Amino acid sequence: MSAYFIRSVAFRHLRYSISQSLLTIGVVAISVLLIIYLWTVISGTQERITLNTTGSLPHITVEPPERTPVAAWQLTALGLDPDTLYVGEVVNLPKAREGIEDWQLWLPYLDGVERTLTTVSPSVTGQAFMNRGSRRQSVRIVGVIPARYNGIVPLEDALQNGRFLGMTSGDVVLGWKLAKDFGLKLRDKVRLEGPEGLALNFTVAGIYNTGFGQVDDGQVFVTLRDGQSLLELGGSISAFGLKFTDLYEAEEIAQRIAPTLPFKVRSWVVDNPNLFRTLDAQSQTRNLILIMTTIASGFGIASILVMVVTSKYREIGILKAMGATPGQIQKIFVLEGLLLAIVGCMVGVPLGVLLLKGLAAIRVVGPDGRVDSPFLIIIEPSVLLGASLVAIIVGAIASYFPARRAGQVDPMQVIRGA
Amino acid sequence: MAAEPVVELEKIGKTYYSGDVATPVLFDISFSVVPGEFVAVVGGSGSGKTTLLNLMGLLDRPTTGTIRVEGQEVSQLDELGRARARLQRLGFIFQFHYLLPEFTVLENALMPCRMRGRAFEKAQEPRMRELLTAVGLSEKLKVRPSQLSGGQQQRVAVVRSLANDPAVVFADEPTGNLDSVSGRMVFDLMKRLSRESGTAFVMVTHDDDFALEADRVIRIRDGRMQAPAVAAG
Repeated sequence: MSAYFIRSVAFRHLRYSISQSLLTIGVVAISVLLIIYLWTVISGTQERITLNTTGSLPHITVEPPERTPVAAWQLTALGLDPDTLYVGEVVNLPKAREGIEDWQLWLPYLDGVERTLTTVSPSVTGQAFMNRGSRRQSVRIVGVIPARYNGIVPLEDALQNGRFLGMTSGDVVLGWKLAKDFGLKLRDKVRLEGPEGLALNFTVAGIYNTGFGQVDDGQVFVTLRDGQSLLELGGSISAFGLKFTDLYEAEEIAQRIAPTLPFKVRSWVVDNPNLFRTLDAQSQTRNLILIMTTIASGFGIASILVMVVTSKYREIGILKAMGATPGQIQKIFVLEGLLLAIVGCMVGVPLGVLLLKGLAAIRVVGPDGRVDSPFLIIIEPSVLLGASLVAIIVGAIASYFPARRAGQVDPMQVIRGA
Repeated sequence: MAAEPVVELEKIGKTYYSGDVATPVLFDISFSVVPGEFVAVVGGSGSGKTTLLNLMGLLDRPTTGTIRVEGQEVSQLDELGRARARLQRLGFIFQFHYLLPEFTVLENALMPCRMRGRAFEKAQEPRMRELLTAVGLSEKLKVRPSQLSGGQQQRVAVVRSLANDPAVVFADEPTGNLDSVSGRMVFDLMKRLSRESGTAFVMVTHDDDFALEADRVIRIRDGRMQAPAVAAG
């Protein structure tokens, strides 16, 4: 029957009982605000923890397979007889063999290995000593192709001084902490000594501050070729680092591409099992809080509507006596619940956005002197929409039961009693 | 030739059941109401007169017997069917006015029309304005019921009962909550409207004075109809 009747009674109830309506709208708005706030802040914190842990790492590392010694007779491919005694010779494999020698052949293949791939960076790594004057410290040498490595850790953007992308043979780029410890400035000379004793002179070409402790301290970058020389690796590399648009896909991709490569393929997830457990626990806590908030908001709407229904018992009775159907009465109260939830969202969403923007604007000075926001706030439209949808659905469910009770009011019972 | 009755009751009985206990309330009630007739139903407390009114007003279903409204059998309709019949063919006035506090006097009077849609309400508005003016409320159309006196509120309720131009209006002690002056005013109003509109009225009352002024008095005692008596003019 008449939607006009349902609408007009619902609207008039809400307007007439304005304080009750405002109270319910407040409950919904606060719930929506809490959902948006908690979701965004906790997700942002998780994102930040993940980025801090993984930001300086490739998502996938492709390394030479580990060599485990195998007895000659176990190599069935050689067709040896296990009962025959074979005499062999102990051979020390040269260092170079432990890297990936034919990396230049694999590079084009890896470049096209996955649609979401952003970078493949071949690199050599090894321990070395850095000497300047009387100061001597063990550092990690990383030999890279700057243009490619910049896709793993954007050093060019993190530079305080000098250059990274334009690094050439004889250049070294290092972190601000190490530079400070050695009193190094741009164009200063420094001597690096490889593990086999080979020492070469380098010129400081750039000083950066990435904010990642292990990169800023104890790690120096040279060109791939210089790294190979210093570490005496010949033409081979230690590993490929791969980065993708979505770091959470890394493990799945690693498992998919591993069988296609004669190398060991490892994702960051395998290297950071604790991080994954922490994030998971955090997600569960967040979900629990969100569910509680949602339920509390549902009870808020329901209890206020129960009050409204109880206070309108007689009016409902007379409307029914005059010919309103249970369905119409029920719709009136469900509509009221929905309207309260919708207006609650319209208040809660802007408030939530405002609160988050306020938080995002906070700046603090970190221990390394960088001015940064303590919160990583990314306001996702999907979160705003999701919180609103949750509130509206909860509003509808919460109003359904009082509404059904209203629909079942027996006019005979109410019209006689005062 | 007698006019076609608007309401006909035939051997109506009502028994309430509570678990295994059966409580019979009405026995074998038969009578009919013709258009424009003003019928008073009287009886002591617990005699079953309100139950009778609820049955005639299709708020409840009889245990036995049939009820016809304008010739149509309605006693066994389901809840929706009875709601529709109440909305379109019946009017109600109760002891308490039960006007909706959120709506103005005019809106309250039009509420049954509003249930039938905006267009219907618009079409009935001039008639309801006229009726409200006729009952002396022309100045009060836009005010809320809370700003009216008890008698004025009940007059609005009387006008509201006529909103859908019903065949019959059922009034349950409509003057029971009013002082004698207001009560008289409301009673006279119902009689006048009944005469003018040709709408039948069935009124439950305790007040013998009002009962004697009705076209017909139906006395209920212990759930049974007493021998009909025609009131003096």
